Amino acid sequence: MPMTPAELAEKLTELPPSSSVSLRFKADSYFDAIRSIVDIFGPKNDLNVIYITSAMPSHSMIEVLEMLEIDMKRIYFVDCISHIMMGAQLKHENVIFVESPTMLENIMLKVEYLMRKTKDKKHVILLDSINSLAIHNNAKILSEFLHIFVNNFRSKGAYTIVFAMDEYSSEEILNMLFMVIENSISVSDSEG
Amino acid sequence: MQAKTATRDAGDRERCPTGIDGLDNILNGGIPRGNTILLTGSCGTGKTSVSLEFLVHGAIGGESSLFLSVTENSTKLLKNIIPYEFFDESLIKKGKLIFVDMPVIYQKLGLQSIEFNIEDVDILVKAIGNIVTELDIKRLVIDSITSVCYRLKTEEKIREFILRLGKILSEQNCTTILVSEISPSAERYSLYGVEEAIADGIVVMGNLERRGDLLRTIQVVKMRGTQHSRTKYVLDLTPCGVLLVPMLKGGSVAGGA
Repeated sequence: MPMTPAELAEKLTELPPSSSVSLRFKADSYFDAIRSIVDIFGPKNDLNVIYITSAMPSHSMIEVLEMLEIDMKRIYFVDCISHIMMGAQLKHENVIFVESPTMLENIMLKVEYLMRKTKDKKHVILLDSINSLAIHNNAKILSEFLHIFVNNFRSKGAYTIVFAMDEYSSEEILNMLFMVIENSISVSDSEG
Repeated sequence: MQAKTATRDAGDRERCPTGIDGLDNILNGGIPRGNTILLTGSCGTGKTSVSLEFLVHGAIGGESSLFLSVTENSTKLLKNIIPYEFFDESLIKKGKLIFVDMPVIYQKLGLQSIEFNIEDVDILVKAIGNIVTELDIKRLVIDSITSVCYRLKTEEKIREFILRLGKILSEQNCTTILVSEISPSAERYSLYGVEEAIADGIVVMGNLERRGDLLRTIQVVKMRGTQHSRTKYVLDLTPCGVLLVPMLKGGSVAGGA
């Protein structure tokens, strides 16, 4: 049985502050996983959410979250995919864009900027997803990125949560997550 | 509010923090106070933004900070400045942050010829020194030194100018950034080669192309009076100021990204 959003949020809450987590799930649990972080775990722990989207443009994600009636005011997006799709980047006060998902350093810089801009609260940083970044980057640079990403933001007191979809996670990706990230939760299994 | 002054272990030089966290970490607390630094790079790399942030943080901390603009009219410069969230226009009104156009100084000194002679160099150094002393300037930026050197022409005059200016500024405990413009393909850090040999520090800014992406980079090559990282960093110019992260190496080696 997959975990419910509430169960997952509860499991995340049990972790010590500044934990890093790889969250593995099947595609059909995708929105439940998002909901548990942005709608339950974040608000419950009074955290701002910085949502790095490389899987889906931010405007599509915002539409979905609004349909789910999720309060958007504490959610900030780093959108790494809209620009390379050559579509119009719809301006939204909580969205900043990175030109390409290959500009991994710039992803970290935009997160850092949002953390400074919203420093009234602590943060949970959600990377959605390692699989979509792996489409655009090879394993060597992606491992290096993940290592710096997790340790950099951990040192600044933020939770880092990395999405990995079971259907698209190669052994190489799973090894990378295992090496760098201290906690692994499988949403597909209610035992975690 | 008093300017941040980082002091390291006994015997270590007093620091002049740039206010750019990443850069101060690289420099182990900031630029050793009184140093004259060459900030070099091609166009669009962020030299002026880094320089301005250095001055604004100094002014916020109560240090009189002077921007000598050689290439661009300072009014136009201020219009194009990044809207820093920490920038307070009253710093200019209070005289803590001062912008002076170099052509105005040239005019007042009667330095009208295209090429300066050695007497002109003497007049110019003294004039800058007087401004720094009279206004008790603790942070100075000359943007760009390349444009000044263009009117000095010979290595001897450039050497004379920078050495004498550096001496006066150091005596005033004024920490100085000399902005140097180079072409992207340049194999040295300054147009004339003299500036880099004389400066206490060299900070190189660049545009790194990686698989079609253009990244802004910064690297401290030399800094007298402190230990420092020599690694290349990627930077972003944001309303919160200049932010840095280490450049990922996987992208810069054969078979990397």
